[in-house]
Amino acid sequence: MTWHVAEDDVRAYARGELAPPMLWSADTHIARCAECRDLLASVTDPVALDAGWERLDAELDAPKRGLVESLLVRIGVADHTARLLAATPVLRRSWLGAVVALLVMTVLVTNSLKAAASPTLFLGLAPLLPLAGVALSYGPKFDPTYEMTVVAPLHGFRLLMIRTVAVLVAGLGLNGLASLALPEYGLRALAWLLPALALTTTGLALTPRLGPVLAPSLVGGGWVAFLVVANSMHGGTLAPFTPAGQGVAAAVAALAAGLLYLLRDRFDSRPTAFGDLA
Amino acid sequence: MTTTVSAAGLSLRYGSTHALDDVSLRLGEGVTGLLGPNGAGKTTLLRVLATALPADSGAFTVLGHDPGTTAGRQAVRRVLGYLPQTPGFHPDFTAFEFVDYVAILKELTDRGGRHREVRRVLEEVDLSDVRGKRIKKLSGGMRQRVALAAALVGDPGFLVLDEPTVGLDPEQRMRFRELIARAGEGRTVLLSTHQTEDVAMLCHRVVVMAGGTVRFDGTPAELTARAAGRVWSGTERDPAAMAGWRTGLGAFRNVGDPPPGAELVEPTLEDGYLITLDGMAAEVAA
Repeated sequence: MTWHVAEDDVRAYARGELAPPMLWSADTHIARCAECRDLLASVTDPVALDAGWERLDAELDAPKRGLVESLLVRIGVADHTARLLAATPVLRRSWLGAVVALLVMTVLVTNSLKAAASPTLFLGLAPLLPLAGVALSYGPKFDPTYEMTVVAPLHGFRLLMIRTVAVLVAGLGLNGLASLALPEYGLRALAWLLPALALTTTGLALTPRLGPVLAPSLVGGGWVAFLVVANSMHGGTLAPFTPAGQGVAAAVAALAAGLLYLLRDRFDSRPTAFGDLA
Repeated sequence: MTTTVSAAGLSLRYGSTHALDDVSLRLGEGVTGLLGPNGAGKTTLLRVLATALPADSGAFTVLGHDPGTTAGRQAVRRVLGYLPQTPGFHPDFTAFEFVDYVAILKELTDRGGRHREVRRVLEEVDLSDVRGKRIKKLSGGMRQRVALAAALVGDPGFLVLDEPTVGLDPEQRMRFRELIARAGEGRTVLLSTHQTEDVAMLCHRVVVMAGGTVRFDGTPAELTARAAGRVWSGTERDPAAMAGWRTGLGAFRNVGDPPPGAELVEPTLEDGYLITLDGMAAEVAA
């Protein structure tokens, strides 16, 4: 051992007063270090020592945190929230891999069409990815634990928001990285962001009414149809990617977020119908 | 019997199908079996009582909580343990991680206390030794026990189990029955099953459903008694019997209205169940 737990910390550990993250380090270290175990035994009474060992046992049983979960805890996210974020069903390698592959292909195609005034293909596709990711992160068809989740006392809307944040951070982050691969378009390559937020919040706001499949499908389909019509009417930068269009997207996102908040109890009181599963 | 769960007039339709049609029942402590053929409405009733699905009409209370309001529904969910018919798992989770995840969904936010509870329920279902194994590496019986452990987190007063013994081999089934019997001590358990042996071995009470309605509600002995005088043994299958089969001893066991002079035999719970379902078929035919 190249280091030992400071005596004051060992005393605090014995009293059960050592706080994370020092507590976790001490747990792990004391399990391996005979010298620190001796010190612990000398500064504590037998009853408290038994309680300490019990806690240590429990700690060693505890699930090992993955990279993302550890990072979230380190930046101050509560342990249980970090676990829910990391367990978001869609955030698996297969989904993230598919998104990355799609973005790489789109960036390559966009870069091969440098004559265009705007990276339209990329800007049209990028908002759909977070929408699809959020749609795939809940509902009986996509969440393997859906039936257990829906009867859990944790409010359905809170879990939905936790998962949405996880998917949005991952999705928007990947989109952002893809934007960096289109440097010649400057800030125009980021014109997907507000439409992405507008589509995602609109899809969620319509979900209590239309369900977790139809709502995002309609919103995504509507977005594609809108782009096709806009493209046929105007050859240059498409309407949603102009400054005015960005303003409209921001307004739609804000309105849908407000509607979503008003409908938050609907995610709890009327769980998605099981009719297709019964 | 002290009533812990009470339902009145529960109805629910899928399109033109009455999945539940004016279902009323009262449950008390101990294990109540819910028997019925496929499509009887058992799973729908369980989902409604577990607050996974809202009924079109009717009302129910669980341990004094009314799920008709948001606060009441949360209160019901706090005293509920639910094992669905096909429990889903995050396949990469270990048994401990999965139960821990469900414990978080059940609002156990204190890490130390939560982990103690996870260890307790895994021990209760005899899975302490494999708590670190990934769920995808566990046998079907062990996975069912993981799901039962998840349902038991938080020591719920009302446990809803939807066909938990399906797909298990006889030894696993017996082991699972022991766990359910243990879980039924001091709490209300509603157990949906196709297996009349489950009911005979575990339940102090049985409800038979068919066509979305309750066809029988009583003790297993009362259900068995429905077949008294209606089961007979013979050298061949009686064509007038509603059911008949050759037993392992070579004789035929016939269930229905016996002919004069038939050699009557002691009925079983299954005979009572068949007679009850046949009574329903006769009503439909009439």
